[in-house]
Amino acid sequence: MALPLPLGLTHSEVAFLAEMELVTVVPRQRLESIDLLSGKTPPLRPPHRIDLPLWLALLLKKQRRANIVPPPWLHPASLAEIVHRETKVHPQSFSEPMPTSSRARQSQPGFAGRIGGNNNNDDEVILSPPFQSNCTSSAPAGYLPYHWLEVAEALITHASDDLGGNTSEIRGLLRDLVEVRAAKMRDSAETLGAEGQGGVVSLRGVGAMELAENRGFVLGVVDGVRKIGGAVETARREREEEMDLGGGGDGGRAVGGGYGGDGDSDDDMGI
Amino acid sequence: MSYYDIDSILTDAEKIPCTFQLDIPDLGYLDNTPNQPLKAGTKVSLPLWLAEMLVIANTGGPDNKTFVTFDLPRALGNDVVQALKADPRAVPLRDQSAHFYGLATHMMDLSEEQELGSVLRKTFVTRAAEISLHARKVGGGGVKGKGKDEGSNLGIGGAGEDFLRGLDEWERKLFRKAHDGAKAGKEWMESIKKN
Repeated sequence: MALPLPLGLTHSEVAFLAEMELVTVVPRQRLESIDLLSGKTPPLRPPHRIDLPLWLALLLKKQRRANIVPPPWLHPASLAEIVHRETKVHPQSFSEPMPTSSRARQSQPGFAGRIGGNNNNDDEVILSPPFQSNCTSSAPAGYLPYHWLEVAEALITHASDDLGGNTSEIRGLLRDLVEVRAAKMRDSAETLGAEGQGGVVSLRGVGAMELAENRGFVLGVVDGVRKIGGAVETARREREEEMDLGGGGDGGRAVGGGYGGDGDSDDDMGI
Repeated sequence: MSYYDIDSILTDAEKIPCTFQLDIPDLGYLDNTPNQPLKAGTKVSLPLWLAEMLVIANTGGPDNKTFVTFDLPRALGNDVVQALKADPRAVPLRDQSAHFYGLATHMMDLSEEQELGSVLRKTFVTRAAEISLHARKVGGGGVKGKGKDEGSNLGIGGAGEDFLRGLDEWERKLFRKAHDGAKAGKEWMESIKKN
């Protein structure tokens, strides 16, 4: 406890990881391939669109060497649709995460098929969010990727002229989304108190930044409920164990005493 | 619940009302009657750590009596529980006990109160949601109090302050966690705009 490090990733760490997301850029200048630890970047040839990691795209953007193509989900229409879905259609749950390139088929349960062809070389297996092109121009609209808030904020701040001039509208919609989802996170704490429910909150579709923000709170609530439930739970378990022992003794007596014990065991079962 | 946990130690120091079941010589000063034995049936408030031991241990006599019997402390009394059932948010738990939940979980270990557990659970989560709301709305300036109006669009004024003053230690920790998260989020938002 000497140095209480916060649990999980901090906001700046999450934002750093988000810079690994691929975004689509339109280069303005030629740039040869750069040999990086993560592999070679593709060579840039001016009018051809190419996918680059966000950090490199932002760097080139600041140097005016490239324009960033915003991902389709950042379009105001798409954001408005998500806000509508979050508030009106499913006011209880978070909106669905972006479909992955490999997912189970609805029609054939038990079979998983690869959906995709987003990437140019199909030999590589691309699956999880940082490597899956969720923020390129080929990503589907109407879904929020894992790093939605970080990527959106970065693009609004550094590439606002590429967003088609409606930055304030996008910013407003993002604020709405943040507020709506924060309210859901709060309400999810209350569902923990319902009796008979296992105390499980579904956090499917929650973004990385929201997790970082609410981790402490949600864990605190779950821990508190666990401590309060602990005493009740121990008492219940003890009672069940006693019941089990009683039942075992009864059975033994029934075996020993022939048919005489039947009436008693029926009474025990409450029939 | 580590050995050095201050909150755990302070929780153990909470007084609970106990009734002695037998005469004890030379302990009369506990009941303002020095040099006299402590009579059976005397009610004395004992700290939780002592009462717990005395309740669990028995005298070893033929009737297997325990040294003391205990009642629920006033903080967990019937009127408080009824008030919590009515509206968990309206009860300032800190006025009952600064370590309300710690005390309550201890008492539930000792006594078999079925109802108390579910009431507490409901209370805790309902208040947790409220705490989270306040934690987000309190501005980034200070932990509490300062910068109230900033970012507040729900008109949380004096009532909010009252609510926050009524939080017990568990809830204060929770408030801190929720507030730290919200504050870090705000700082991050501002940091992008700078560079």
